[in-house]
Amino acid sequence: MSENQKKILEMLANKKISVDEAYRLLSALKSEAPAPESAAGAQTTAKPKAKYLHVHVHGRGRKNDEHDQHDEDAQDDDDDDDDDYDDDEDDEPAEVVNIRVPMSLIRSGMKFSSLLPAEARDKVTSALGEKGINLDMRNMKPEDLEEVIAALEDLEINVIDGKEVVRVFVE
Amino acid sequence: MKRPPMLMRLRIREKERGFGLWLPLFLLLPLLLLLLVVLSPLIVIAIVILRRGRRLDQLSPTARASIGMLCSPRGIRAAFDVLCSTPGLHIDVRNNEERVYVSII
Repeated sequence: MSENQKKILEMLANKKISVDEAYRLLSALKSEAPAPESAAGAQTTAKPKAKYLHVHVHGRGRKNDEHDQHDEDAQDDDDDDDDDYDDDEDDEPAEVVNIRVPMSLIRSGMKFSSLLPAEARDKVTSALGEKGINLDMRNMKPEDLEEVIAALEDLEINVIDGKEVVRVFVE
Repeated sequence: MKRPPMLMRLRIREKERGFGLWLPLFLLLPLLLLLLVVLSPLIVIAIVILRRGRRLDQLSPTARASIGMLCSPRGIRAAFDVLCSTPGLHIDVRNNEERVYVSII
């Protein structure tokens, strides 16, 4: 553990910063720290191939007292779950979305899109254009799909605000 | 080698009611295949009738794509690829009262 990480945890323990702030600071440290190592390590070790795209949304909405008893019951029901969300946390999020998509499914789905009729492709292209995405579905080739999927493997999105944490990442 | 999904775990909870289900897909897939084999002559007949009456062009792009997918080896292969890529898919959406959990193994 680095000195900076210790300082952040101490500040959290002394209640000088909130959990969200600590998480944000630790994430920022994490994103800064490995850059020199990874540059050197890239030549020696091959990057493991990503298997899953994860989408996690934890919404911390208000939790009514009348729901508390039911939540406890629900937690009892969920004890045998094999998901990776910890039910025993004290501040259980009110809303949780936890999706794991195999990369192979994304790959197959994109290949499947090549079967779309020309009219549908035109519609998709124009709809993407309206959103400011210049992706021409008509000119998509298998090599392009592989490139898109390879680019996805480096994807990491962390959005944290007061009530919600959204994480999209590939591993 | 790709293999089709074996099991699907489904859990749905709404307030105090809910149910969990283990679906043995390895038993359902042969039935689906059998159904496809039985229905395929009917699909071919339907396409021939539609082509003769020049009604195929009048169908919506979605309908045409669906027919094309069902009847072309490339489409069937792509659909099978998608099916074989689903193991590992995990969807869990919940709030304080409701939950939908789908996991394909």
